[in-house]
Amino acid sequence: MTPQQKQQMREGLKKTREVLGHDIPGVSDQVIEDALWNYYFDVPQTVNYILIKYPRPQQKKQSKAKGLLGFGFQASSPWPAMSAVEMGYFADAPWGNIPQDRKGELVLKGPQLRGGLLGGSSSGPKSSKLAALAKKRKEKAQAATPTFGEEKTSISLLSRLSKQTSSAKNVLEPVSPAPRPSAQSPSSLPSGSPLRPPPPQTSTARETPAPLDSPQTDPKARTTVDLVGLDQPKTQEPVVLVAETATQQKALGASPSSFAQSIFGERITLRHEITVTNTTLFFVPGNKEAGKANPFAGPSPDDVVAAAQSASKGLNKGTHQKTPAPTIQKTEEVLKNLSLEAAPAAKKVEKIDVLKAYSESSAKENINFVVVGHVDAGKSTLMGRMLYDCGAVDERAMRKYRQESEQIGKGSFALAWVMDQTEEERNRGVTIDIATNHFETPNSSFTILDAPGHRDFIPNMIAGASQADFAVLVIDASTGAFEAGFHRQGQTKEHTLLCRSIGVQRLVVAVNKLDTVDWSPARFEEIVQQMQQFLTNAGFSMKNVTFVPMSGLTGINVVRKPDDNVIPWYNGPSLLEVLETSNKHTRAVDKPLRLVISEVFRGGVTNPVSISGRIDAGYLQEGDVLVSIPSKEQAIAKAIVCNDEPAKWAVAGHNAVIHLSGIDPIHLRPGDVLCNPTSPLITIKSFNVKLLAFEGMTPMAVDVHKGRLHAAGKVSVLLQTMDKSNGQVIKKKPRHIPPGSLARVTVELIGEAIPVEAGNRIVLRSSGVTVAAGIIE
Amino acid sequence: MKLIRKNLEKDGEGSITMCPEEDEDMWHAYNLIRPHDILRASALRKVSTTSSTGSVASQRVQLTLTITVDKIDFDAAGGALHISGRVLDENKYVPIGAHHTLDLELHRNFTLSKTLWDSVALETVRAACAPGENADIAAIVLHEGLACICAVTEHTTIERQRIEMSVPKKRSPEAHERGMERFYKAITEAFLRLFEIDKLKAVLLGSPGFYAAGLRDYIFSFAEKTENKPLLRARPKFIVEHTSSGHKHALTEALTSPAVKAKLADTRYAKEMEAVDAFFRMIHTDEFRAWYGAKEVAKAVEKGAVGTLLLSDSLFRSQSVAERRKFVAMKEEVERQGGEVLILSSIHESGVRLGNIGGIAAILTFPLEDLDEDEELELEEPKLEEDGGGQN
Repeated sequence: MTPQQKQQMREGLKKTREVLGHDIPGVSDQVIEDALWNYYFDVPQTVNYILIKYPRPQQKKQSKAKGLLGFGFQASSPWPAMSAVEMGYFADAPWGNIPQDRKGELVLKGPQLRGGLLGGSSSGPKSSKLAALAKKRKEKAQAATPTFGEEKTSISLLSRLSKQTSSAKNVLEPVSPAPRPSAQSPSSLPSGSPLRPPPPQTSTARETPAPLDSPQTDPKARTTVDLVGLDQPKTQEPVVLVAETATQQKALGASPSSFAQSIFGERITLRHEITVTNTTLFFVPGNKEAGKANPFAGPSPDDVVAAAQSASKGLNKGTHQKTPAPTIQKTEEVLKNLSLEAAPAAKKVEKIDVLKAYSESSAKENINFVVVGHVDAGKSTLMGRMLYDCGAVDERAMRKYRQESEQIGKGSFALAWVMDQTEEERNRGVTIDIATNHFETPNSSFTILDAPGHRDFIPNMIAGASQADFAVLVIDASTGAFEAGFHRQGQTKEHTLLCRSIGVQRLVVAVNKLDTVDWSPARFEEIVQQMQQFLTNAGFSMKNVTFVPMSGLTGINVVRKPDDNVIPWYNGPSLLEVLETSNKHTRAVDKPLRLVISEVFRGGVTNPVSISGRIDAGYLQEGDVLVSIPSKEQAIAKAIVCNDEPAKWAVAGHNAVIHLSGIDPIHLRPGDVLCNPTSPLITIKSFNVKLLAFEGMTPMAVDVHKGRLHAAGKVSVLLQTMDKSNGQVIKKKPRHIPPGSLARVTVELIGEAIPVEAGNRIVLRSSGVTVAAGIIE
Repeated sequence: MKLIRKNLEKDGEGSITMCPEEDEDMWHAYNLIRPHDILRASALRKVSTTSSTGSVASQRVQLTLTITVDKIDFDAAGGALHISGRVLDENKYVPIGAHHTLDLELHRNFTLSKTLWDSVALETVRAACAPGENADIAAIVLHEGLACICAVTEHTTIERQRIEMSVPKKRSPEAHERGMERFYKAITEAFLRLFEIDKLKAVLLGSPGFYAAGLRDYIFSFAEKTENKPLLRARPKFIVEHTSSGHKHALTEALTSPAVKAKLADTRYAKEMEAVDAFFRMIHTDEFRAWYGAKEVAKAVEKGAVGTLLLSDSLFRSQSVAERRKFVAMKEEVERQGGEVLILSSIHESGVRLGNIGGIAAILTFPLEDLDEDEELELEEPKLEEDGGGQN
């Protein structure tokens, strides 16, 4: 907590106390502080919450876990802060006879809506060293088992209990033999938690902690954790560490306390056995290879998830008996694998056939889309809304954005702040650079590239569009605004043309802010008409263009379908549904590696040099030697991170983060290309381009854009103009190229050569205007 | 430049003695001195003497040498001019025909003799020796991660330093801000090292978005921190302008802005810029009144159609005497016809734009078609163009 926050906390506590008085049992300062923290120091909300949670009469205190919210959206530390036992929640409850009101309800939802900001929260409190250590261990464990998160669902219920892992996907906490509802502390859940809070609580799972597990499931589940954790300070980190360590080192072997023995007797032993096999299955200390010995031998992760889901659902109905079977089978399988291909314990990374792995992988397809449109069309707000509604942004962060944006008088920008993270962008209320965020739906995993709309930052927009598979064009439907974006200098047109010339085929037109014109069907129709005409001329095929009426600020028809009478004239899909129906993209995976660096940064203490970028072609895996062009310096891909998760390999179409070693960051610049040393790119100073001229051209100075690459050059020779329809040469050596014509020119770079090759799409700009776009020959 | 002595015959032969006073004068000298001219200037030559015993002693001797010019080499960034040639007059240290490279120095006279001082050369002398106010402008154009620091004078735009730095993007807002700060700091330090603030007439900052304003704020907070009085006093000299990028050619956009024009001592630069702009506009709007390329313009001159002739001074530095004469004749012809002739500095931004199309262009007073039609019509194309431009 910063001093400022501490101050806010003190004030908030004082005010809350004033309102509440001291007569409510169980409402300690700690509880109020936690609530304040959750509600971002909003006193009325806190009071409201506490009054709901702690009705003044009889009920003793409800436990309330300290939030893990500070971890931002990572949802990577799923351990509950304190157990129910620790909190004394069940202190007065008789064993085996839990009062009805203490029982939670656990509802299982699909393993979906996992997401997070690639950029991370701007204000998450620093995690302690212990937490960092625990996280690292966890990552290590994950690295050893690439499909850790998903396969975990197949772990037997009992062993899962002992592990107490609830991954971001939130595997169901199993319950005791009697089919009773149970619940889990929501603080450990990511925002898209499958938990539905108990009835008396308010809408979202995020802000309303549900009661903790009921005691009968609990002791069994938490023996290892709590026995050690009890004497720890009440922060979540030590607990995490202990639990992790225990799991990893098979410390489960520690003999149960006499109390536990007497209560559970043999059941503890049973648990113990299964845990051991399970540990072998997913984590073999000192032998990283074992985990991935044959990662695709078992059922596909999706199948496993599905199986686990059905099993868990069945369990809720009380038919939990069959669950152990697949686990045993699985264990046997892995044991077999282990004996067959026990890999050496060496740290050397084993080469895998990435192409094979890719074609066999049934992971969700990663789809990148760029959001473009005129300045102030609401691109960032729309994307903020989408992330928020998909649960990739948690309630507390959102509350913070709201409050802070209101403080500087820009309340309507709160959603945009999800994307616009820098101070400059927030103060000015415009996006300056591409924001890369990531979220998932049950079917697909999306990377959002939120482009700036302001004309000064079109180079950044080009960078974003060149990383995308398709584009979402946001149009401001409010009166006059559509026309402003659509006139000659408006970015609606320029962005669309740029997207098309960069190679984007599919376009989703989001007709935004329709609420400002009362959802007028006439206005929607008018925009659709005009856009269709323009898009056809721009070379889009109408079957690849979808129009969606919506409102980003209110969120109508973005993720949520509108209420019945809001848009009576529209019964098509919502924006998210449209995004999900995108067709399979073909990737140039079998070509030589081309990874265009979009940014160079310091990935942390252990990763001083990291880059992020899109893989245009080819693939790479951990341990590969790469060469950076044009600096021709070699580096080793130490680790790969795709969509916030460590990966063994990445292929074309991925927007990946690569941690490098053996290279100085001065040799890496945005726009440089990482290649395989055996087939490097050759930099060139002069090349011919077949282009479409948007403006009249003569031999002139131009800026050459290709993705992040932004180089100064000049059009030195006009070679020929061509007929648009059949490509016939109209005129050789023309004196100038009229706007709208197809031509072939020679471009020379001023300064150093740039890493481009035949087939690359480039954009030529001059004096802030896009002059032409074309393909290098 | 100071004109010391002018000694010209009626037929244009003769010599002129001048004294360069500032860096820009080297540029003028570069435009005046041609191969085969005779140049007399002071020189420092290493002379080896062999004594009777055979021991060799070498010493540096200050001499005044006369050479016939073979090669001229101009280093724009350093402001140095190297002229190599053969020695013409003998003295006790140097025999006739020995090679020597003269480095022209500031505040040391040199005498240049030509067999023909043409009108272009004489105009260059006049322009160079005109007692003009020193209109030095420092210009910094930047975008995120790239900055060009340029010195702009009346006749030259010289890129003094280019700063490239990779600034972390939005991934982590703090790192981004730190990166920008580092970037601004590097620019500020380079700027203070390269320029004497008091001598500058204006400091022009240009960028897309808010970077220029951000840089100005940084510079003054830096000045306050370091209590840099001259810099603080110079506050009114700073002009923030919008440009489309941080590349050097974007400087054109900033230099044409009214605020900058007002600061410039004479309007020559602005006029050149306008003429080039007009030409490029016209080539799209009124194709047959705007022509570029030596052959096409020559035809237009023949027909008396040229209203404004734009020439790059690089044409007059041609190695071939005949070539140079041709352009001089063209220029004189247009002036005789009452047209306007602008000779643009090839290292000024407008001159660079003209250089892109071959260094010669004309705006006609009436449209002429088919100037590009040549005898060679054998190909299927009705119009085969002889570009002439572009291959510069």
